Order: sequence, then C-alpha cells, then structure tokens
Amino acid sequence: MSAACPACGEPLEDGASFCEACGSQVGAAPTAADVRPEPTDEAPLTVDDLIVSTALGRGAARQHAPRPCVACGGTVGADGWCETCGAKQPKERDHFRETPAPWVAGVCDRGLVHEDNEDAMALSAEPAPGSRAVLVVLDGVSSSVDSDVASLAGARAARDALATGLPQGAGTPEARQAAVARTLADTVAAANAAIVDTTDPDSPHPASATFACAVVEGADLWVATIGDSRVYWVPDDGEPLLVSTDDSGAQLQIDAGVDRETAEHGPHAHTITKWLGVDAPDLVPRTAYVALDRPGWVLACSDGLWNYVSEPIALGDRVSSLVAGGATTPLDLALGLVAFANASGGHDNITATLARVGDTDPTTA
Amino acid sequence: MAEFSATVFQNEYLPDGGTDVNAIVTVSCAGAGTAGQTGAGAAGEIIIVDTSGSMGPMTMRAAKEAASAALSEIVDGTWFAVIAGSHQAMLAYPNVSSGPGMVRMDASTRAAAQQAVSNFVGSGGTAISTWLDLAGRLFASVPQVTQRHAILLTDGENRESDHMLTEAIQRATGYFQCDCRGAGTDWQVGEVRRIAQALLGTVDIIPEPEEMEQQFRAMMQASMARGVADAQLRVWTPQGAQVLFVRQVSPTVEDLTARRTEVNALTGAYPTGAWADESRDYHVAIRVAARAIGQEQLAARVQLAVDDQVVTQALVKATWSNNTDLTAGIDEQVAHYTGQTELAAAIQEGLAAKASGDDATATTKLGRAVQLAAATGNAEATTKLRKVVDVVDEREGTVQLKAAINKADEMALDTASTKTTRVKR
Repeated sequence: MSAACPACGEPLEDGASFCEACGSQVGAAPTAADVRPEPTDEAPLTVDDLIVSTALGRGAARQHAPRPCVACGGTVGADGWCETCGAKQPKERDHFRETPAPWVAGVCDRGLVHEDNEDAMALSAEPAPGSRAVLVVLDGVSSSVDSDVASLAGARAARDALATGLPQGAGTPEARQAAVARTLADTVAAANAAIVDTTDPDSPHPASATFACAVVEGADLWVATIGDSRVYWVPDDGEPLLVSTDDSGAQLQIDAGVDRETAEHGPHAHTITKWLGVDAPDLVPRTAYVALDRPGWVLACSDGLWNYVSEPIALGDRVSSLVAGGATTPLDLALGLVAFANASGGHDNITATLARVGDTDPTTA
Repeated sequence: MAEFSATVFQNEYLPDGGTDVNAIVTVSCAGAGTAGQTGAGAAGEIIIVDTSGSMGPMTMRAAKEAASAALSEIVDGTWFAVIAGSHQAMLAYPNVSSGPGMVRMDASTRAAAQQAVSNFVGSGGTAISTWLDLAGRLFASVPQVTQRHAILLTDGENRESDHMLTEAIQRATGYFQCDCRGAGTDWQVGEVRRIAQALLGTVDIIPEPEEMEQQFRAMMQASMARGVADAQLRVWTPQGAQVLFVRQVSPTVEDLTARRTEVNALTGAYPTGAWADESRDYHVAIRVAARAIGQEQLAARVQLAVDDQVVTQALVKATWSNNTDLTAGIDEQVAHYTGQTELAAAIQEGLAAKASGDDATATTKLGRAVQLAAATGNAEATTKLRKVVDVVDEREGTVQLKAAINKADEMALDTASTKTTRVKR
C-alpha cells in the first residue's frame, strides 16, 4: 500500500523522499512539522536583486548560496538545474515562503501555467501567538511589464508601513476606526509609491497590481483591499466569511443581484476595476473589520487560489480537510492550499498567507 | 583571449515512456590568436617526410618543396624539427645528437632547415612507428612546448607488423596531434586514417606531386592559427543516465564515444585538440529514465573546458509530452548529421567491400551513399561518388560500379568520406 503526501494528499511512490505532486519532503516518519528547507530563510530575496536582474535582462544569474535540489536534495548548479539528477529548479522568485512567527506563514508560487510569478507577499508577526500579524498580498497584472518586481516592492512597502501597529486609544470606536482607515490608506499609498518607483516612466505597459492586507491585532482583524485579492476568516467552529470585497467585473454583477457562482464565471468576471500602479484609478481601498471571537484562520490570498474555492463554505471545507490531514501549522496549511490550487490546474500564480488566531493548535479546538 | 560559445539544436520533447535524447551542439571559438603566442605555453611543429626508397624523383622533389614551404609558414619563435622517415626515423634538423631535439624558428634556423630538407635522398623501407616515436621524443625534449603538432607525409604502405604501429599510435595519442597526407596511390587509406583519427588530425590524398606544396602550406597555416592549445569536450549526464554516443559531426565525423575519460562520476571528457577561430558540431545521444508527462529535466550539460576551466556550456533538455505534434518531429540538425554519419560509414564500408571483391555489397553500400549524399546536400561526396559509380537512380540509390576506376579517385572518396556539410540555419 502506498502512503499519501501529508501536504497535498496525493499518493506517494514507494521510497519517495519528496512528493511528486507538490514537492513536499516526506521522510520515513512524515510529520506535519517536517517541512523542507526554506530557500528564503537562507538567501532572502531582495527587491534590489530583482531590480538588478531585470536591468541586466531576464535570466541574469543572481548569486545566492547553493540550495538543495527539490527532487533529490543534490546541489543546484548556477544554470538552475540539479547537478546530480538534472531536475529543473524553480527560480526563487517562482516559489518562496515566509514564516515570520510560528503562527503566521505564507507561500507564493508561480503555479503551472504562467511563465513568471507576478504574485507577491510580505508578512510580519510578533512572536506571541495571536498577538499581532500583518499579511500583505499583491497580484501583479501579467499584461504589464515587470509586474513581478513591482508587486514584491509594493508588498514589502506595505508591510513596512504597518510595522508600528495600528492607532490605539483614539477615544471613541468611530474615532479609532477613522484613524485605522487613515493608516490603511497610507499603507496603500506606500505600496503604490514603491510600485511607481520600480516602473520605467516610459513603459508602454506600466506595472500594476492588486492589493490585499490583513492586520491581526489580538481579537481585531482589519482588512484593506484594492482589486480582487481577498481576505477570508475561517473559524474552526462557525461559518467562514469572505471579509473583503472585490473591485471586479464579477463584483459589479453581484452588486446588481447576480449570484456569486454565475457572476464569477461570466464574461469580464476577472476584469479588475481598481489596481495600484502609475495608472491607478484611485488609491482608496475597501476596508473591513471583523472581531475574531474564536479560534480560526485568517487567510489573505490571490485569485490563483480562490478561483478554485471562491465560496467561503467551500474554502472552509478545504481548510478543514487539510487540517484534518495533518496540515496544522500555518506553513503546512499554506503549502496544502497552494498544492490544491496547482492540482486544480495552477492556471494563475498562487499566494496563500495565513495567521492562526485564538490558540496555537487548531486540532484541539 | 579566445571566446567560446555553444548552441544546442534538439527536439526536447519526448513521448510518454521516451528515453533517448539527441542533440547537436555547435561549439564556436573566436579570437583564438596564433599558436604559441597567447602566453599559455610554447608551440612545437615537427615535419615528418617519407624518405623511403619508394619515393620517386618527382615525388621526392615535390616533397622537398612542400616541406620547405611548410617551414616558411611556421611563425618565428615556434619550436620545430624535421624528421626523415624510412625503416628508421632520422632527425634531419636540427643537427644535434643530445639535449633538446628542437630549435626555435628564426631566419637562420629556417634557412638551415630548408637546406637540410633539400639534401633528402630516398632509400630504405617504411616503418611509421619509428617516425611517431621519434616525434614524441623530440617534443618531450623541450618541456616548455605544450602545443604539439606534426605533419606526416608518406607514399607507401607501412612495412612493419601491425601491432608496432598500433602501439606507437597509442604512445602518441593525447600527446601530439598529427595531420597525415598520402602521396600517390600506393599507400593505405585505412592505415593512415587510423593515425590521423587517433592523433586528432586530418587525412587526405595528394594524387599529383604539384599539389603537395600547396597542401603543406595550408596544413601549416591551419596549425599556426590554432591559438588555443588544447580543449576538452565535457558531457555531464544525470545520475542513472547513459551516454549512447558522442560524435564530432562537423567539419568531419569522428566518433569520440570510446575516448571518454572520467572527470567525475557524472561527467566524461572527450579530446578535441587545439582550436582556431572555427566552429565544430557535436552529436550527443543520452538515454535517461522516462519521467511523467509534463516533467522537464536536464539530460546533459555539454561543455568545453580549456585548462580544466569550463569556458562554455549548452544545456540538453528532456520534456515529456503527450502532444504528438511536439514529440514526433526530429530536429533538422539531428536528422541531417545522422544522415551524414551514415553516409561516411556507407562509403567506407562500400569501398572496403569492393576491395575485398564483394561487388554486391559494394554496390548496395555505395548506392545508399549516393542516396544519402543527395538527400543531405553533400555535393562534394556526390561528385566523388560519381567518379566511382555510375548512378542509375539517385533518389532510389541505384548504382553500378564503374568498370574502370581511377585509383586516386577511389582513395579521394575514401579520405573525404568523413567530411560533412552543414545544414542551413
């Protein structure tokens, strides 16, 4: 009998060290905590790297510490292929992970169809579980130039703009809400400025991107979005919620009374009506607030994931089954969601970022 | 400073279960400079002239002029020597009996060497093993010479037991390169080709004495243009893969498969000798384990290494696909050179069959050669074949052996059999 991959559930070949489907390492005694080497920890990807490599033209090699082959663990050559088994290696921009604290993690992946990964994410978190976390997801628009560079720069600028926390003690709830909204608007402006900074002023197709950020502070979840990247709240017990509202053709249909399923599969469903970039229509995000009153998951993601599980209930079921399958850490759950999107076709870049709130072990909930 | 580049031509798509990856890799060199002038070590040239008794007066006079012309092409500063070969090898120049057996070229050594050559007298037999061995000893007497090249002229069959020559070739292999020429029609193409192939040189026939001077001049010019003393072709393959073959396919077909030396467990090195400003094509065939549809992997890194440094690399890939539009096509370059390799074999096998009196096999093989030469656009082979066979139907490969064949034409077909043409890119 063959075993199944703990990350994505695909059957494993006998004696396999890695899952053929999602690339997860599977040891002799696989555990959910048993995650593979994280290239981003050893050799952080910097915006400067990307900008320099873009200036030199695509394919200019970035010098990074050697990383292990995703297939056999051998050494990867400077040409991007394994020196032992010849397996093709993902570019670091094509698949990267962040785990700023054990309760917060994200995975940003090229998917299977697109040539480049124009999604980006940037995360930060305080060490204490459930204390404070920032999840930022940007989805670069493929029809524009260097969206991969722009989206990463924008994501990091947004994360850094939120480094000091949301305003506290502003008197009335209304006053605080207004203060938070200003901070979120400033965050969007910072992300936009970073994108504009990376854009060639003469570019015929200037970089543009969607924007989603989720800020967890104790029992508060604040959300700001532009475009169609999303934030969901998936409590362990209770109904999952789509917190954000898209700026998209589909949302216009939904606002006009069409049901979500129909709207999201209609013509122009994926046309976004707002975005960041030199040609951004405006920089006013849609904001939302949710009181996190029980244990659960905050998920910020790109459409590369939600295209396959748009309905909050479907997404909640997917999360539950992955958690039940052993993906109990945020990183494993993010990997599982990305593997699921790839197994569903991987038609777009995929980003899944998660914060675990309410407790540290969702299996005890 | 020489610059190398490599380009790969292949159809990387394999069908489900496919294992064999074929690719043509073109390696080009620019800025090679001049032999011995690039600071990487001195160059040495040895001219070996057959002075056996079989050399007729016309041939001997032509050989003297040819050797003299070759001497005038050797760049000043190059170490050189001249060997007179018969049943034994004699150091004709420099006139020394101990110490270094080569001197550096300048106006006075050139004049003295040309004087020595003019005194050649034909006598004795032919023992080519002694010529090669003396050349090896002369090169070894000047350790600073790191680029070693010889020109060998013979007019007759080697008159010693075969293993003597075989062992001498083995001693010289990997130590010096040697271009070989046969004068007239009394020498054995197979024998001389064996020397030239092992020593990474060319072989050709000089049917008429008056062509000799020009050929010698050209050979020496070509050698002097090789500013990169030595390079290795390296082929990395993934763990578990098998190298089916590695061939040079342009400008000539040379099977290098058996000449592999190990660089590491996954990488083999194949000799390529010295390089001028030129490009050469290599055909590599690798067998890898089949992978799932959609998987992509590297089947080979094909590299050129100079002084153990990789100077250029091309990547040979494999991608498994269930799209027959992608997997069915054979790369044009691969198909072309597969045909040219078969052409060389068909010519050599056909001529060997003819020599042994098996006219039926000769007719079939040379017919196939005519067909392949036409199909791959090798005009030189077509011209040479038509001097040996009467073509009934080129497309079908139907031929008849000519009743009377000029021996020189037959030998010229044989020596040129490995020359290939390039396909337009």
